[in-house]
Amino acid sequence: MASDPHSDTDPDSNSDPDTAITRITPTEARRRLETGAVLIDVRNPGEIALGMPEGALALLPDALDARIGEYARPEDPVMLVCASGPRAQRAAQRLERLGYRDLSVVEGGVGQWRREGLRCVQSEHLEVEDAERYARQMNLPELGVEGQARLAASRVAVIGAGGLGSPALLYLAAAGVGTLGMVDDDRVERSNLHRQVLHRDDRIGQPKTDSARATLQALNPGIDIRAHRLRLGPENVEEIFSDYQIIVDGSDNFPTRYLVNDACVRLGLPNVYGAVQRFEGQVSVFPAGGGPCYRCLFSAPPEAGVAPSCDEAGVLGVVPGIIGMLQALEVIKLVTGIGEPLIGRLLLFDARATRLRELALSRNPSCRCCSPDREFTAYVTETSACATSEAAPKSAHD
Amino acid sequence: MKSGNENDIPMINIELPDALRPMADGADRVAVEATTVAGALDELGRIHPQARVRILTRGGQIRPHVNLFVRERDIRSGDGLETRLEDGDSLLVVPSVAGG
Repeated sequence: MASDPHSDTDPDSNSDPDTAITRITPTEARRRLETGAVLIDVRNPGEIALGMPEGALALLPDALDARIGEYARPEDPVMLVCASGPRAQRAAQRLERLGYRDLSVVEGGVGQWRREGLRCVQSEHLEVEDAERYARQMNLPELGVEGQARLAASRVAVIGAGGLGSPALLYLAAAGVGTLGMVDDDRVERSNLHRQVLHRDDRIGQPKTDSARATLQALNPGIDIRAHRLRLGPENVEEIFSDYQIIVDGSDNFPTRYLVNDACVRLGLPNVYGAVQRFEGQVSVFPAGGGPCYRCLFSAPPEAGVAPSCDEAGVLGVVPGIIGMLQALEVIKLVTGIGEPLIGRLLLFDARATRLRELALSRNPSCRCCSPDREFTAYVTETSACATSEAAPKSAHD
Repeated sequence: MKSGNENDIPMINIELPDALRPMADGADRVAVEATTVAGALDELGRIHPQARVRILTRGGQIRPHVNLFVRERDIRSGDGLETRLEDGDSLLVVPSVAGG
């Protein structure tokens, strides 16, 4: 687990450049540490999270030029270690070009270090199992151990454990979102299963929250999964949302979508929006404060008769799969700060053409939800064709 | 919509979402000649009246669950239905959908 088989494979790995770089055993490196030599571990964060030679300092190869001066002067003895050797060799050559003169590479790397019975230390913030589980994404310098810690500390609620909620919940659980909530009051039906991949045929009739919990816990037992088996309404929305930092809207009807939006604006929570119909999907992030909200985009739901009901419209199962995954992606970006969130932009997905299109959104200055001069009085329960067609017996969040 | 000089009237495409295609004989786009968004929708109404009804109210206002984009911009943030069109433009119709 400690090494990435691809990382240490390099055509130069067997070369023996004409340099003064020496090769030393791990035991020798350990001895030299005690005499003041510096040991630099140039492996990726995900590998380092699994354990680093005691006394070593972590420094990514890309950061060597800029940061080696913090650890050693050119005249100081510097030792380099990686998983098995080649990356350390390349790092040593790089330092040689920077003027470092006393350079050595630990032969056999961390693997040999362990085989010689020398001690490795592990991050205090990660359990061994977590270090293994998240190693491949922690290897991304943009995420690293720090980003993983942010995910672990994050609290995200997904509204609906259905077509959108299934991929969103699966990927957020897999990514290590520490507290993952879901809100749904429905039971699993066979007609759900072409798209709601959290559930299974042998769970038909079970509450979706129970089925989803079983799947998610089996995937990642290290996170806190909270099931809210209820129908979201004005009377409970704030109590539920106040436990979370980010809300993912995977609901299937207009009244819930407007309620989610209004509560997010009121509580200052980002709303990661997704919606699908037939072969098309929409995704956006409505941020807390300042940005356009759902009502800026769609000020009211369609009236009865001007839009097909949700039941009759139908949907290709993979469409909510793609849109729900994009929602999970946006959550991970919001939590870790990676990249540019989908704020002020609406992404349209057309499955027929396999086309993604981005549209610019702007705030509606007279929005009855988020414009600064509007005063909140009470939640407005929107009604629509879809709401009517999927009243009480069905879930608010399919 | 045609004037004395046909070359003065831009030819544009109205791009319809899945939900409106049944009202336009299944077409995903309808080519019309128009100088403004309002004119383009009038032309659409002449060819496919039911499609126009899904976009505009009886009073000719954009329905609140519909957004219209020209050159990837929401026309509400510009000149609304009076937004000028150029030859080759696309008028994209984006209604709200609720499915999850």
